[in-house]
Amino acid sequence: MKKAYILLIEDNPDDVELTKRAFAKNHIVNDIVVLSDGALAADYLFEGGRGERGLPQFILLDLKLPKISGLELLERIRKHPETQLLPTVILTSSKQDEDLMAGYRLGVNSYVRKPVDFNEFVDAVRQVGLYWLMLNEPPPDGSFEV
Amino acid sequence: MEPHGALWMRKPDLGLVIERITDGVLAIDASWRVSYINLAAKRMLRIVDESDVLGRFWLDAFPKARGRRFEHEYRRAMREQVTIELVEFSPTANAWLEEKLFPSQEGLTAIFRDVSSRIEAQREIERSSSLQQAVIDFGRLALAGLPIEEIGEEAVALLRGGVGADIAEVFLYDWQAQRFHCLAATGWPEHAAHPLTRYCLDHFLSAVESGQPVVMTDMRNDRRLPQMAELTELGITSGVVVPIGTAYQPLGVLAGYGTVPRKFEFADVRFMESIAQTLAEALRTSESNRMTFQVIDSIRDGFVAVDRDLRITYVNQIMAQAYRRTPVQMIGTKMLEYVTDPELAAVALSKSREALASNRAVTFESLVDERWYEVRIYPFADGVAAYVRDVTGRKAEELRVRELNAELERRVQARTKQLELANGELESFSYSVSHDLRAPLRAIDGFSQALADDYGDRLDATATGYLRRVRGAAQRMAALIDAMLTLARVARHEIAFSRVDLSQMAAAIVNDLRDDDPSRTVDAIIEPSIVVFGEPVLLHALLANLLSNAWKFTRNTPHARIELYRGGGEVVVRDNGAGFDMAYANKLFGAFQRLHGVDEYEGTGIGLATVARVVHRHGGSIRAEGEVGRGAAFFFTLPPELPEG
Repeated sequence: MKKAYILLIEDNPDDVELTKRAFAKNHIVNDIVVLSDGALAADYLFEGGRGERGLPQFILLDLKLPKISGLELLERIRKHPETQLLPTVILTSSKQDEDLMAGYRLGVNSYVRKPVDFNEFVDAVRQVGLYWLMLNEPPPDGSFEV
Repeated sequence: MEPHGALWMRKPDLGLVIERITDGVLAIDASWRVSYINLAAKRMLRIVDESDVLGRFWLDAFPKARGRRFEHEYRRAMREQVTIELVEFSPTANAWLEEKLFPSQEGLTAIFRDVSSRIEAQREIERSSSLQQAVIDFGRLALAGLPIEEIGEEAVALLRGGVGADIAEVFLYDWQAQRFHCLAATGWPEHAAHPLTRYCLDHFLSAVESGQPVVMTDMRNDRRLPQMAELTELGITSGVVVPIGTAYQPLGVLAGYGTVPRKFEFADVRFMESIAQTLAEALRTSESNRMTFQVIDSIRDGFVAVDRDLRITYVNQIMAQAYRRTPVQMIGTKMLEYVTDPELAAVALSKSREALASNRAVTFESLVDERWYEVRIYPFADGVAAYVRDVTGRKAEELRVRELNAELERRVQARTKQLELANGELESFSYSVSHDLRAPLRAIDGFSQALADDYGDRLDATATGYLRRVRGAAQRMAALIDAMLTLARVARHEIAFSRVDLSQMAAAIVNDLRDDDPSRTVDAIIEPSIVVFGEPVLLHALLANLLSNAWKFTRNTPHARIELYRGGGEVVVRDNGAGFDMAYANKLFGAFQRLHGVDEYEGTGIGLATVARVVHRHGGSIRAEGEVGRGAAFFFTLPPELPEG
């Protein structure tokens, strides 16, 4: 069985560090693959950029990304046959109604706002991680490759 | 009928009878000598002594017959031996004679009678009917709109022919100057002074003052008027002066003179009076026309009238000038000769037809030689009149207004565009604020915490306290940013009005406040069923701000109480908390205005600004009352409920 890992698409190194730290605080030790812009993520997901590596357990997606925006990436994830069922969680500073609506329209699984308070942030990451790694039953194995 | 001559020849004793009959009898023998003349003939032919004529050659006895029709007919009767009848004026008798000539071998008998009265009556009838016709013709002429000078000329010509006046003249009377001036005159001898140099003649004044004709049969013996001498010196001996107009409104006189003493007939005077009356009408018409035309000529707009054949019957100075002509040159010519622009000609023609057909004025505008004209066409019985106004100035003004409007529209559009851009910028600014500003704050907070977590054992209490302050500041700033975004959203939020139960909404908010802060004991007294009309999302923000303020500021009040009720058309949120100094009431609703220290009561200073903005966006008003330590009350109004839709 391939090792379950988390794909974090986030350009802000502070947020990357804080997110990793929050996972660590919550004793979530799965690998975290970080991609710092939308183009890299597209390459990783659709153009063979990940090499032999399989798809992640779930994606944490920031909205404001260089080159290809988070929403655009989400749209492509949902269109691509390999990734269309891949659990994707938006983790962003924005709680603009427009972003929320767009995210849900494009078929995001969750929308989580990054709280400024680190304790709250840790809590949010814990809940998200636990949910998508432990509680949630992923689609049947191999269905991602349909 | 048996010839008288034969009767007389056969019975000489009838001589006495013949002598006494009223018809004249004259016998001439074969050698053309007068052989007999009866009493009646002697009287008619003015023969005192019959021996003056008896036995004499007839043309010697009656020399005035020589060369006349009498001589011709007498000779023909004898030559052809036929009875001849004739009616002829006899200078000898100074009368019209009806004669019958009976020829025989012995001579010729003429029987005649005076038919002057019959002939005269007949001639009078003929003359008066021809005069009548002349008056009618003149009337028609005078009212055809000819210039008054021409009508005057016609009048004097008619007077000369109609009543046989040697001299005829028309004088107009200027009653203000009490002077006459000559309109027309005819027949004056060469050596006479020009009629225009004479004025204010007594007989003229007499006529205009009395309103009655002045008839002078023989001026040489007329002592009525001293100035007559002037006329008699010129050989004038008789005359008639009839006034034109009335004694109340004298317009002038019409005068006819003769160079021989003569008795003007009643019919002559009547004839002149008819002409005078026509002249008066023509003068009045001409005066009113003159005044009308003076008005039309004085206006600075063009005016032209045409008949149904489009011939110009009147054109004013301005209009004629436009075509570089004089009105006189243009009158009588066809209007379309002057309109060179075929398009304008076509439009003018069709509009004229339209005006005539509808009997209503028709207006159109036309551009000629870079100037705009407004043409208004009025129909009348005999054609159309066109009133032409240069409206270039007005057009330019209209154009300017249109351009200004367009410019204004452009500016509004540009400004709208700018506003849209500004709104878009505000939107992206809000986005940046919510996104980009929060990220560093999160880093500040997160790494402060990381520092405390990972290196806490190496920090003293002061350092840990500083880290706490760093985190507190970061979190407050995050709250400020959120509050600002809420305020901005209130401004942008579209208002969809619906019925909102404020009481229910308030109860839910208070419940949330209780859940968040279960340690507090607060009395919430909410009047039920306060239903207003407004935007639910915004009204929720309003109530949430006011109620959480009340919740917050009653923190240190022993028996905290929050009330929501209606009073005097206002909705009131009252608490018995910290209150505020009314001196600062005007600062309550400004953004980032705080009346309490942050360490005393936390807050962004945006809440009441948001409240005020919600109320204002509903078209309502808000005020506050407070007293330090005794609570605060906020009163707001919302617009009355609007009908559905």
